[in-house]
Amino acid sequence: MNRLSVTWVSQQVSQQVAQALLPALFFLHLIPSFAQDPRQIIEEAQRRGRVTSQRYEGVLEVFSAANKVSKKSWTTDRLGSFGNSKAIIRFTAPAEVKGVALLVVNHPDRASDQWMWTPAIGRDRRIALQDRGTRFFGTDFSFEDLEERDVNQYDYRLTGEEPIDGAPCWRIEARPRQTKTSQYTFARIWVRKDNYVSAQYENFIQDQPVRRLHQTDIQNVQGIWTPRTLEMTDLRRKSRTILRLEKLEYNIPMQDEAFTVQALRQ
Amino acid sequence: MKSSALCLLFCLSLTAQFTQRGYLETTAIAYPETAPNDSSHAAGESLFRYEAFYKLTNFRFAGAVDARTDTHLETERTLDLSWWDRTRQRPAFTIRRLSVTYTRGKFTFEAGKQFIRWGKADVLNPTDRFAPRDFVNVIDTDFLGITAARLTYGTPSDSIDLVCAPRLTPSRVPLLNQRWAILPPGVPIHELDPALPGAPQYGARWNHIGAIAEYSFSFYNGFDNLPLYRAELRADLQRYYPQMRMYGADAAMPLGPVTFKTEAAYFTSTNPQADEYALYVLQLERQAGEWSFVGGYAGQVVTSHGNSLAFSPQRGFTRSFVAHAGYTIDTNRSLALEAIIRQNGNGILLKPEYTQSFGQHWRITAALAAIRGQPPDFIGQYHQNSHGILTVRYSF
Repeated sequence: MNRLSVTWVSQQVSQQVAQALLPALFFLHLIPSFAQDPRQIIEEAQRRGRVTSQRYEGVLEVFSAANKVSKKSWTTDRLGSFGNSKAIIRFTAPAEVKGVALLVVNHPDRASDQWMWTPAIGRDRRIALQDRGTRFFGTDFSFEDLEERDVNQYDYRLTGEEPIDGAPCWRIEARPRQTKTSQYTFARIWVRKDNYVSAQYENFIQDQPVRRLHQTDIQNVQGIWTPRTLEMTDLRRKSRTILRLEKLEYNIPMQDEAFTVQALRQ
Repeated sequence: MKSSALCLLFCLSLTAQFTQRGYLETTAIAYPETAPNDSSHAAGESLFRYEAFYKLTNFRFAGAVDARTDTHLETERTLDLSWWDRTRQRPAFTIRRLSVTYTRGKFTFEAGKQFIRWGKADVLNPTDRFAPRDFVNVIDTDFLGITAARLTYGTPSDSIDLVCAPRLTPSRVPLLNQRWAILPPGVPIHELDPALPGAPQYGARWNHIGAIAEYSFSFYNGFDNLPLYRAELRADLQRYYPQMRMYGADAAMPLGPVTFKTEAAYFTSTNPQADEYALYVLQLERQAGEWSFVGGYAGQVVTSHGNSLAFSPQRGFTRSFVAHAGYTIDTNRSLALEAIIRQNGNGILLKPEYTQSFGQHWRITAALAAIRGQPPDFIGQYHQNSHGILTVRYSF
């Protein structure tokens, strides 16, 4: 679920809003009663966040342990949802890394494939699975945090209820079924009961929490409840990165061929 | 009609994307020792690079220009704008890139001046045949763009690259009156105009991404972009670029905690003056936390010896252990160390580097290139060229 953690780009970041129609309200009213199954909660969260595409400009502030701040920004295009999605992240600032890009191709049954393009050397490089615990270009997101996985790649357990930012949440533990493919042993997810947005993720290695993603500023964008501010804290380094999503759009036309290694080089 | 045209323009403007980037960089280099053909202890150079990209539906236009100057005439003092990049000195103004790319479905076609990089290894790329370099400073190089047409067919698991370049862009070699050219003592050398081939080069590469490994096979037919020398009269040297055919392969495979990469190529030539040889690289790479590490061995096997004098850094750096380590101190500071150590111990290059960024635009890099070894060795022959480097860059 760790990966789900930064499904931020998609999953958590995108939750479908309840329609104002009576039948829908009826079903929404019913959901909490049967959604005590943690897997169903996650499935419902994913269902609400399902979109055909997404685009946003990310503004990042990276705070070091000594509280020094550096600013970065990127644009993200994403086609599809969850286990079958593809995304390209391109840095637009600082000027030094402008043009650096990452292609993430998610798979429903295994870890994603990732390639990074560095224009200064004119080379694309595949990010090996064992290297995905590394921080992504000086942010507190790791390469693994940038992928998203299908609900079937995890086992879930409901461990309680706990409010986050005053909103009642289910607390769910998610363990990857193929432990070798993740740097994390398990993750805790807090899913809001009112809109099924994931309010917080905590990723563990063994029993130690190592990264926490806190999602706030939840807004309804084109019918999708979306956290517009994501704060990732590296609990070991004591550094954090705040990502704000700007110019966010869903379901805009995108072509499949824009998400290939050839397109990454452009 | 007019309204249709306006409508079309409006639609095009909605789908167009323009991006640009660039930098102005000034570098100071200090040499503690003089060289037999170069008495200077300090040199400086400045480079302005601007790149722009414009995307319009399925078309993408890319352009880049360089403007540069320096204190030691490594750069021409004329205002000519160079396209072919075949001049002896670095041109003051160069079109670094100017190409148009058309994408339709699984096909991508790019024509014009562009960069084509093949291979997977990091320490040396024997299969990177369409990537000539500027070797005016042998250990601090930059790639030169080539004029070519490139057709790529790509699926998620396979890609096929077909490349045709109508003219060779040679690598730029060290200037004879400067320290990176090692000349026999006491013999005045005069360099004649080079004999540059006029025939085209072409190549193909198939890359496959499998479940446990990614690998590719490549073929190149054309000319070596690094020269051989022939002596005309006594001390008149002329560069020429022998015919070359390459059969290459490369692969990358995750192995537990590390990634194993290998790349190999076998080179033949119809020119009897040229060697026939194989180059190969075996390397391991790992990133963990703030550390990155690449280490490996670059080897060479000569199957047939020619008898011409050659300048080939690519071959000169083989039969060596090569390593690169990087450490990110924080978001603004990083350290790196590059090492090339000949297996016989006759040449060593160590290059520690410290980089610090300031704000969104400024970066300073301080580096030291320490070269030790014996004169007959390719690295060792530059033992008087150890130097310190300070670079200030403003990026935008």
